[in-house]
Amino acid sequence: MNDRRRISAEAVVIGGGIVGCASAYYLARRGVQVALLEKATIGGEASGRNGGGVRQQCRDRRERPFAIASVKLWEGLQAELGFDIEYVQGGNIRMAANDARMESLRREGAEELEDGLQVELWDRDELRRRAPYLGDVFIGAKYCATDGTANPILTTKAFGWAAQRLGATILTRTEAVSIGVEGARVASVTGRDQDGEIVVEAPWVINAAGPWSAALSRAIGVEIPVEPARSVIAITQRCAPLFREFISSHDLGVYARQAREGQVHVGGTNVPPHTFDQRAPADVLEHLARGAAQMIPALRGANFLRSWAGTLEMTPDKVPILGYVDRVKGYILATGFSGHGFCLGPIAGKLVSELVVDGAPSLSLHEVRFSRFG
Amino acid sequence: MTEQVEIAVVGAGPGGLCAALAAAQAGAQVALIDNNRHPGGQYYRQTAREFRGAPSSHQREGAALLQQAIAAGVRIIAETNVWGAFDDKVLALNDGAATTYLQARAIILATGAYDRPVAFPGWTLPGVMTAGAVQTLIKEQRILAGKRFLLAGTGPLQLVLAAELARAGAQVVAVLEGSRVFPRVLQHAGALWNQWERLSEGLSSWLTLARHRIPYRVGWGIVAAEGAAQVEQATIARLDGNWRPIRGSEEKIACDTIALGYGFVPFNTLSRLLGARQEWRPELGGEVPARDAQMQTSAPGVYAVGDCAGIGGAALARVEGQIAGSAAAAQVGHGTADAIPARASALARERRFQRMYAALFTPGVGLYELSQDDTILCRCEEITQAEVRHALALGADTTNEVKLITRGGMGDCQGRMCAHLIAHFIARETGRSVAQVGMLPPRPPIFPIPITALGVTR
Repeated sequence: MNDRRRISAEAVVIGGGIVGCASAYYLARRGVQVALLEKATIGGEASGRNGGGVRQQCRDRRERPFAIASVKLWEGLQAELGFDIEYVQGGNIRMAANDARMESLRREGAEELEDGLQVELWDRDELRRRAPYLGDVFIGAKYCATDGTANPILTTKAFGWAAQRLGATILTRTEAVSIGVEGARVASVTGRDQDGEIVVEAPWVINAAGPWSAALSRAIGVEIPVEPARSVIAITQRCAPLFREFISSHDLGVYARQAREGQVHVGGTNVPPHTFDQRAPADVLEHLARGAAQMIPALRGANFLRSWAGTLEMTPDKVPILGYVDRVKGYILATGFSGHGFCLGPIAGKLVSELVVDGAPSLSLHEVRFSRFG
Repeated sequence: MTEQVEIAVVGAGPGGLCAALAAAQAGAQVALIDNNRHPGGQYYRQTAREFRGAPSSHQREGAALLQQAIAAGVRIIAETNVWGAFDDKVLALNDGAATTYLQARAIILATGAYDRPVAFPGWTLPGVMTAGAVQTLIKEQRILAGKRFLLAGTGPLQLVLAAELARAGAQVVAVLEGSRVFPRVLQHAGALWNQWERLSEGLSSWLTLARHRIPYRVGWGIVAAEGAAQVEQATIARLDGNWRPIRGSEEKIACDTIALGYGFVPFNTLSRLLGARQEWRPELGGEVPARDAQMQTSAPGVYAVGDCAGIGGAALARVEGQIAGSAAAAQVGHGTADAIPARASALARERRFQRMYAALFTPGVGLYELSQDDTILCRCEEITQAEVRHALALGADTTNEVKLITRGGMGDCQGRMCAHLIAHFIARETGRSVAQVGMLPPRPPIFPIPITALGVTR
């Protein structure tokens, strides 16, 4: 076997999740010769295992402009990627089960309107009228009509395929094991596949390895403050069409969406930190079942068919890290999405391409800069 | 709520019953969980108690074994699924109304096998069934699934089923045996020594076939099922040594029910969930847990016996069950695992028979080449071979990747029907082995369970 192959590129992306694939896609679209290294398969981790929500409302104010800009991209994505990614702008309902929650939704809604995001506040009667399938524990909700859902696996893969069609080199089952630095600038990424090592030389390195981004970066002295966390989703057998919104309740600790084929995906809003374990524990499945039955009483007649878990990467303030690293030229971080990467993936990828090609992004990255963690 | 037990046995067929009995006789506290109304599994399947009539010898044997187990103190948990397995040997049980948890110090898996799925044009037509389903309807519910049966498959169980059908008054238009069994069985004659019960059962079935003038066609197989709303006829053909239909040999045969008995696939999902290392062993039916001489898997304290660890039939399951029951009891502090030396010769005899059975009746690759591009491979999600082919063109090269792109394997059967079909198709298209292409990872609940049963804890 050839145990040390070399290829060269203009940019190398680490990680075949949605952020990495979108980065490769937008870079390739700008004419950059890009290579992507993925340890297993495209969309095989959190990007393909998440709830499929594409949401702008209920974001941290620092993150909100990115979500709004990303949805603008999402609206054209299906046509652009040339693949049915099941994107639907069916709206997003965040419910309140008590006055305190309703009050905080009200405050948040005012801020969102100020920031240019159209949302509606629903009282109990409006909620009954607009979402009669919801349980009677809720006293009101906030609704964003332009939010929606998509198929996480297919979207991520579609980005990868589209990047490939534009000439990107996608190396799957190739784990990035080290980042090469020469002087003050990145020079390469070394990957390992079944045939041995492969060195991709490039003046730009984009670390989009999510939960695995920290370990790689540590070796070149850049400590990324991300912690792994487990997110579990259970899915029902096919049900008759019940709802098209993405719905969530932090009071019950669950969210749900109904996929096009009728299965209802139910996930938890709390994610236990400090674990790479991707097995779904029994108590979490029970929590999801109880929450689902309370949130959507019609599901009391349904069965859970399957569950899975994915690993998120959480930053201390649950806002992503996107941008240059001051000390290491050519090194771009696109990580720490804290469970919001699916919605933000397209805009993150586009901004990465602007950092490489234009040297200046079309949206300020000040609030998501790496150096905020000092 | 989590209950504690020393030994949990999953599956009350011959292997599970013998394991539970051996462990209880050694002094261990044993719970035996089974998802049927009556313990016994497929081999000892009992007629529903609402029916009167004399039980068969198998049914009498199964009932006696169950009584022995109960007398030895085994706690029987019937009509209960084990839908998950978690850290520290916790099994999740569901009886349709509520979930309970059972934590064991040792677990013996005896979950058996299911009929090997085969895809060919028309296989999803009403009237195409597995031999196991046809047999279950007769044994348990005394229902004939049709009037004119064609049996296609391999192995002596087909003779048994044909005889049962004939005795029940059905017409059996033919029994197709895919393996060219007759010259080759002589090479294995030694393995038949001391298998008098099996030989006499085979002979008796054979005589029933002769009496009813049922054609037994060796070296023949199913190629297609045809009919408007349900099966009306089958296309059958002579097979070559690799079980590929020989062009020009096709015949049409009228029937309303096709029973497919192409052997079994081990139901290994629980051993996978418990972290037991698996091996790809086509001669044992597919993916099976690796085991030591005590039937222990690579997961400490997790044992696997019978068909779920490699297709070998009831007699082998009984011996393996006795060994595992005794070993597990010794592991938790009861007895000295004396069944292992005591059962050594019986084990060797049954393993010889298992090898002969595998050599004679393991289907050839042609069985997996009957499907066409418009044939459905995943029937829950209605995914055709062409859609799987498209996923391969997009770069997928494993069963799991095809699942993610096409939904094939995401449906209600949890991949039990389609994963093998899709894996064999990928292997054939990509030139990789089925082992490389892989099976689907287990995703609990391994059986669909009511949301209300999961959310409610008794």
